[in-house]
Amino acid sequence: MRPTGPADASMTLLNEVMKRPLDPSYVEVAARKAAGLDTDRRGVRVAWVLVLATLLGAFITTAVVSLREPKDGVVQARALLVDRITRGRAQVASLRADTATMSQRIAALQSAALASSDPQLLASLNQYEVVSGAAAVSGPGVRVTLDDAVAIRQNPDQADPSSRVMATDIQEVVNGLWAAGAEAISVNGERLTSLSAVRGAGLAIQVDLSPVLPPYSVEAIGDPATLRARFSRTSASTRLEWLGARYGIVSNVAGVDRLQLAGAGQVTLLYAGVHVPSAVGTKAPTATPTFATSSTPAPKGNTP
Amino acid sequence: MIALIGLVIGVVAGLILEPSVPVVLQPYLPIAVVAALDALFGALRALLDGLFDERVFLVSFLSNIIVAALIVFIGDQLGVGSQLSTAVVVVLGIRIFSNVASIRRQLFRA
Repeated sequence: MRPTGPADASMTLLNEVMKRPLDPSYVEVAARKAAGLDTDRRGVRVAWVLVLATLLGAFITTAVVSLREPKDGVVQARALLVDRITRGRAQVASLRADTATMSQRIAALQSAALASSDPQLLASLNQYEVVSGAAAVSGPGVRVTLDDAVAIRQNPDQADPSSRVMATDIQEVVNGLWAAGAEAISVNGERLTSLSAVRGAGLAIQVDLSPVLPPYSVEAIGDPATLRARFSRTSASTRLEWLGARYGIVSNVAGVDRLQLAGAGQVTLLYAGVHVPSAVGTKAPTATPTFATSSTPAPKGNTP
Repeated sequence: MIALIGLVIGVVAGLILEPSVPVVLQPYLPIAVVAALDALFGALRALLDGLFDERVFLVSFLSNIIVAALIVFIGDQLGVGSQLSTAVVVVLGIRIFSNVASIRRQLFRA
């Protein structure tokens, strides 16, 4: 008859790991010592025990020390990145100031050159610049403010991501304002030109590649009462109400007596032709703005 | 006792000299530390049972570290590195717990 092993013989591994007696080596060596079979020479034994123990101690300490190091490295790396971001931002700000000054000078030279040779061209150029967004403008208008839901401001990581204002919301508001008859629009100080885009990159919103942060303020120049009345009839207004009711996004439409919108500065030159003075042919503008301009161009160029 | 003195000297030397670990060995350091912990607790238990022997302690220390690192290394070569290292950590963890349990029993009953 086959000898039967213990009932849980197939669980040797688990028994071995969980219920094992002390490491068998200790028990065996103790038995050997008791039986007097240990015959190593004492001096040699002491020597290699000491050496081995020192090496092992050094190794474990090195391991523990080098495993703790990454924390310092991470902190340093972060500090370095923060420093680079700050310097980058300072550089961007100073370059923008330079661009503004240069644009002012170019515009001054341009108007000086045209004023004498072709005042009609200068007048239509002024109008185009107001409409296209190159020139700074000021006048009465409307300000629409949007902000993320209170939950996002208090607890950014855990709140519902749809309670943030998205690029599409701002696009709708801008389109609504244009439809209501705005003459110039800027989002958080970034003037919208005829080539501007409001796009979303992940959770961030960018206007013409410049990031904008909440709270968002969309300013439009036009007659405040008319603008507000027409805006409330657009789908943008309905959307703002729905956003407020459904996601808790805070929005407000208010008339403002005096708004000042910066110009977009010098535009990119795409096409150039030889200028023929108006004595030779008509230079009347072919397109006029559809509403009487209630905005007056500020001194040429950007107002800082 | 000699082993203990040697260990202390080694630890102090490691703290003072602060040798740098070659980059090749960096991934195996955590498992080596856990294996060393297992050998240490096994030695403590043997000590409390009156069965301590320094040669067994050092050899088990060394072989634990080498075998653990070897298993993780082979796992990395085969592409199952994280699974094998999980298995090694589980086994070493169970051994540490069972050794600590007997140490506790010895300390608070004896």
